[in-house]
Amino acid sequence: MNQLDTLLLISLITALISGLGRRHQLIGWATAILLTVQFLALLSISSLGYGGTVIESAVNLTILGQPLSWRFDGLSWFFALITIGAAMASSFFAAGIWAKKYKKHGGNPGLLQFAMSLNVFTMLVLLASGDLLSLFIGWELVSWASLLLMVLAGGIATQWGLRYIVYATAGAMSILAGIGIIYHLTGSFAYADLAAAASTFSTTHVVVLSLLFIAGFGVKMGLLPFHLWQAGAYAETPGPGSAFLGAISSRMGLYAMLIVVFQLIGLGKMIAVEIPFTFLSLRDLLMWVAAFTIIFPTYTALRQNDARYLLAWHGIGQGGYMMMGLLLLDPVGSAGGLLHVFNYATNQAALFLAITAVVYRTHTADLNRLGGLVNRMPLTFLVLLVGIIGLAGIPPMNGFVSKWLIYRSLIIEGMPLLFVATVIGTLGTILSVYKLIHNTFLGQLRLEHEHIREVPWSMLAPMLVVATIIFITGFMPGLVLDWVASAQAALGFTPLAYTLGGVETARGSLDMIWLCGVLFGGFGVGALLFYGGGNKAKRVHQLDNYAGGHFLTADTRYHYSNNFYAGLMHHIGGWYRGTFKWLESSLISIVSLLSGLTQILFHSYHPALFLLITATLSLYFFIG
Amino acid sequence: MQVTLLTIMEVILMPIVAFIIGLFMVLMMRKLAARLQRRVGPPLFQPLFDIVKLYGKQTQISHGMIHDIGIIMAVGGYVAAEALLPVPGMDGIAAKGGLITLAYLTMVPSLGLALGVGQCANPNGSIGISRALTSMLAYDIPFIIVIFGVAYQFSSTNLVDIIATQQAGGFSTWGISEMPVLAVAGLFAMHASLGKQPFEIYIAPAEIATGPMVEMGGKFLGGLFVMQSFQLYTASVLYVSLFLGGGENWITFLLKSFGVLAIPVVIAYLFPRYRTDDLVRLVWKWPVMLALIGIAFVMN
Amino acid sequence: MNNIAFTVALPLLAAFLLPIISNSSKSAARFIGPFVLLAMLGFSLAYFNMLEHPVAIALGGFRPPLGITFHLDNLSLLMASIIPLIMLVLWPYANIEGYREESLLLLLAGSASGLALSGDLFNIYVFYELLSVASFGLAAANRTGAAFAATFRYLVMSGLGTVLALTGIGLIYTQTGTLNLAHIGLLASQLNNPAGLSAFALIVIGIGVKAEIFPVNGWVPEVYSTASPRISALLAGLISKLAVLVIVRLLVVAYQGPEALTLLLVLGMLGIIWGELSAWRSKDLKRMLSFSSIGQLGMVLVAFSIPGEAGMVAGIAMMLHHLVVKPGLFMLTEHWNGSLNKLAGAAKSSPLAAVLFMLFALSLIGVPPFPGFWAKLLLVTGLVEANTPLYLTALAVLLSATVIEAHYLMHTAIRMYSKGKKKQVKKLHQTPFTLTIISVFAVVLITALITMAPLGNKLQHIAAESSDRALYINTTFAARHTPVRKQISLIKQQSKVQ
Repeated sequence: MNQLDTLLLISLITALISGLGRRHQLIGWATAILLTVQFLALLSISSLGYGGTVIESAVNLTILGQPLSWRFDGLSWFFALITIGAAMASSFFAAGIWAKKYKKHGGNPGLLQFAMSLNVFTMLVLLASGDLLSLFIGWELVSWASLLLMVLAGGIATQWGLRYIVYATAGAMSILAGIGIIYHLTGSFAYADLAAAASTFSTTHVVVLSLLFIAGFGVKMGLLPFHLWQAGAYAETPGPGSAFLGAISSRMGLYAMLIVVFQLIGLGKMIAVEIPFTFLSLRDLLMWVAAFTIIFPTYTALRQNDARYLLAWHGIGQGGYMMMGLLLLDPVGSAGGLLHVFNYATNQAALFLAITAVVYRTHTADLNRLGGLVNRMPLTFLVLLVGIIGLAGIPPMNGFVSKWLIYRSLIIEGMPLLFVATVIGTLGTILSVYKLIHNTFLGQLRLEHEHIREVPWSMLAPMLVVATIIFITGFMPGLVLDWVASAQAALGFTPLAYTLGGVETARGSLDMIWLCGVLFGGFGVGALLFYGGGNKAKRVHQLDNYAGGHFLTADTRYHYSNNFYAGLMHHIGGWYRGTFKWLESSLISIVSLLSGLTQILFHSYHPALFLLITATLSLYFFIG
Repeated sequence: MQVTLLTIMEVILMPIVAFIIGLFMVLMMRKLAARLQRRVGPPLFQPLFDIVKLYGKQTQISHGMIHDIGIIMAVGGYVAAEALLPVPGMDGIAAKGGLITLAYLTMVPSLGLALGVGQCANPNGSIGISRALTSMLAYDIPFIIVIFGVAYQFSSTNLVDIIATQQAGGFSTWGISEMPVLAVAGLFAMHASLGKQPFEIYIAPAEIATGPMVEMGGKFLGGLFVMQSFQLYTASVLYVSLFLGGGENWITFLLKSFGVLAIPVVIAYLFPRYRTDDLVRLVWKWPVMLALIGIAFVMN
Repeated sequence: MNNIAFTVALPLLAAFLLPIISNSSKSAARFIGPFVLLAMLGFSLAYFNMLEHPVAIALGGFRPPLGITFHLDNLSLLMASIIPLIMLVLWPYANIEGYREESLLLLLAGSASGLALSGDLFNIYVFYELLSVASFGLAAANRTGAAFAATFRYLVMSGLGTVLALTGIGLIYTQTGTLNLAHIGLLASQLNNPAGLSAFALIVIGIGVKAEIFPVNGWVPEVYSTASPRISALLAGLISKLAVLVIVRLLVVAYQGPEALTLLLVLGMLGIIWGELSAWRSKDLKRMLSFSSIGQLGMVLVAFSIPGEAGMVAGIAMMLHHLVVKPGLFMLTEHWNGSLNKLAGAAKSSPLAAVLFMLFALSLIGVPPFPGFWAKLLLVTGLVEANTPLYLTALAVLLSATVIEAHYLMHTAIRMYSKGKKKQVKKLHQTPFTLTIISVFAVVLITALITMAPLGNKLQHIAAESSDRALYINTTFAARHTPVRKQISLIKQQSKVQ
């Protein structure tokens, strides 16, 4: 019973307690506090985040002759930190007043807490897996636990959940096939055996295995073309749940992919594999997949009119950055990819919580029905602002640092087109997050929202904490880069040489402390100029403005979200073809057609005929 | 400690210098426009007078906190950006940020402005911002390709290094002679980024009542005026640093900066404006194509 | 030592006596069935415990290959213990009036035991016929028009199948001159020709009618959706497995060549495709479950088609898993019949039943750590180990089918958890009696989950034993004269070389 076992045990106990006591009034707080205890237990093994050695679990099982083991290394610790952190924020958010309202509207907050703590437990089991078999078990546990969270809301959410689970099962089966092949090749499920045998694999095996695993793990990451399930499934989850899912759930795919594909099979081999008739290696192909995973979902997000969907689509796109960074394989790029996991999780948690707060007050996340809330909910606005700046990757928030590392690495490696692709994604993000903040907090305040107030402190506090983390880790990225370097070391990458303020290299450094200092100094100058000079500004009612000769009244609704970027859509609108949806639906049609055909057999009036035909055919098979 | 103190001094000085040069750039722009339209043009201190006048207005209309903060961010973002842009004798914190950081830092003022305009709840303003952000998406793509090309060519993202390399090798190592195609594309992108004709659809006084500026009066507009002078300065100095070897001394520095800026300004007053979608198409077609060709040269 | 024969004789006797006893004392008739089943269980468990190595028992004093032989090894005794167990669970305790069903069930139990234990083809054929008769009666026990029509369909197919199987058995007899399985095993080389293989094909297809093998399973959806859930559970869970067992025995002793395995593999694959696709489209729970059962049996067949011990262990695991899960699922249709759309709100009306459905469904899909996962894992590793294009195709089919399976099962689950109309929801209430029966299966499943490690070892032991051809032959001919022994040692060497 070492510290890792303690952590897993506490996590299991959390899930059990919140599951059994899900009808109790105080279960929300209990779960949140237990999650905090988990966090402390995780901190007790924080040496892993600072280059400590692997901790093996004392639990060992042998089933059907196959040993199962669990362990934690720097990478697991890093992901576990994000997992538990995201769960804590969501759980505290959901524990207080939010739960009361949720219950009043027919929800079961205890069940939500249970689902979240169960997800945390299964994720920790996955992160702790020490061989392929325990990895697969953990993987499936995570998949099904997140289904529980997704379908909680009922109604349309269940349809998305169903779609998710079909994709997830397909992914799991692909992984299972891969694991089976590895078992055939190496004769065991152990990581060490795979790593040792990987060098002897033929090119065909490398390609088949990589594709199977990347497709399988990619499903959860929402890698193109397996992304269609994700936005709806995350968006329709009850608020805090979607913050948790959005922050970390997809990253489990990345974690597993890192372990199996990057570390064990070895990406080095993929560079060696040339795809026939192209100039691309297998790695290049994957990088382009990552690039399109950035671009398409981001520009789909741009067209969403529901805040939750908009954010969820961005979640898919941001996954592409992580993948891109890690595929660069150099210290800078891989650090960027891993750092983005953390940064993105904080951003997405803040954003989803802020939107949930808006929904809490206004009962809608429809961007066409919101607007002008900044004076009513200024702190929520602040959180959302911090979140979108981070998500868009603009200084001084943390999202900028990880993206900077990825850009820098792309320049070092000399990949102009991929660089442009990532920047196109970032620009799309900027456009779409502006639309988000403009249509919720800026612009015209609707009459029915005239009297709403800021959300209560039980909800504000977790949001503000997350926002603070976004800022602090942007100001001093070195705090997180410590853990990132350990994770890199655990993966076998050369760790990044970092400073507290960022990165210092010979030809291109980043020092966020200085940068933030200067930026806020600049804002100070701006404020001095603004407030110091001229008369004091007079506040006027928002409708007191110039509209080209018209008088605006509260009845005239001119605040809009649909086709917000008309000029852009005029040009690229035609490029949204729904190709992936078409692919998906044609697949369904094929299955439907086939199943129609198969049923004919069972509807036949002369089933005995089949018996005779089969008998004849099989006799022919043996005799003929 | 000495270094830090010096850096802080530079960081304070650089925006001031930039502001002064920027004011003259505004003056030059207006003078050039006047000459092209056969007018006399404003006197020497007109830009400064304008700012003072705007700040001195009796009624200052604010639509709320974010409206104010938007202006602060618009000015403050540029003030910070100037510290990343080396001028002769002063590097500021250019080595701690670099090219990519600068490119993203210059988005902060735009975002601030966008937020500020957003709170005004004026449909014209929102339309203007939507158009402005769209054109940002348009011109940033060639711009970023150019940045990639330069950074790759000089294998550095540090502007100090880039300038030093160019100055050490003389004209033949200047960006413009090493990468002429990229230089053309860069000029194109820079022009679009200034939001001058023919790329000023988001202001469009006739249809959306000057778009983002519609609710801006008094010191709000004054802030934007300050921002504009910074913007002109940043664009031209960045271009000079990337392609024209930066400033060896103050004289060449000023000559180059004003010279570069003159090109888009002249073009601006000779051409009418484009619609947003036309702008996207135009910018994505020519500069992007040019920039990609340029990259191809650089990569080989 | 011959007590084991009671497991066959007792229920058969009871089945014939039941009508007579019922005339004199109804209450005695009610108790006789469970009592006999308990006795059966006692006998087979006693043997199960005593068994150290496989034993062959010659009934009636004739030595093999002449007499009636019972082959007792772990596999046959396991099946023989499961038969009374599952019958006890599914016994119609609530039925007070008639004795017909009880009598038929006892007949079924007796013949099923015989089928599991028999060591020669002729007895197998006889017990199989008895089993068929009993199952026809049970399938029609509802006495509705639809049930009769379905049973007629079943009867026609089964009858034809029996004819085919008998032809196959005849062919084997002409080739080898014996019907004793062990003896056939000794003479297996004489069956490795078109005639011998044709015999195998005919038996597979003939017996396959009961084993729900594609495409001779046209009766399955009709019968399962019209018969009472208990009977469907019994047929799908138990009887199909016994039919598979016969094929497996034949496979082990005589047909280890690639041709026979290929036939099974192809039929299994087609069964998976056909079953799962049809289940995907079906509109009511009973039909869905019957189609899914066809698919599952296809997987079992695919598993057994993997050569060697790997196939045996995967096959037995799949078989046992399905044997526990499917009856549980079928019992749910007791009150949840009709269109799937009408299931809305089922979870509200019987939350426990919905949870149990989820449990069975997850295990069926193969979600770890449920037992279904381990069975599927064995199957996957087995298929990859076999490593020919056809086996890898089967792997692809299996995995894709799992996705389809997950879709329709979860679709149903989501329907259950969605909101329903109040009137409708009331009808969906599961009685405590049914719930208890279902819970028994669930408890078995969960116990298996908890004791997975020792269970896995036991399973591997059983598989090793039952896939050992030489052992099977040796068991029967242990005391025979030298020439046979020589042959045995020859076979042992051969299998070692393999």
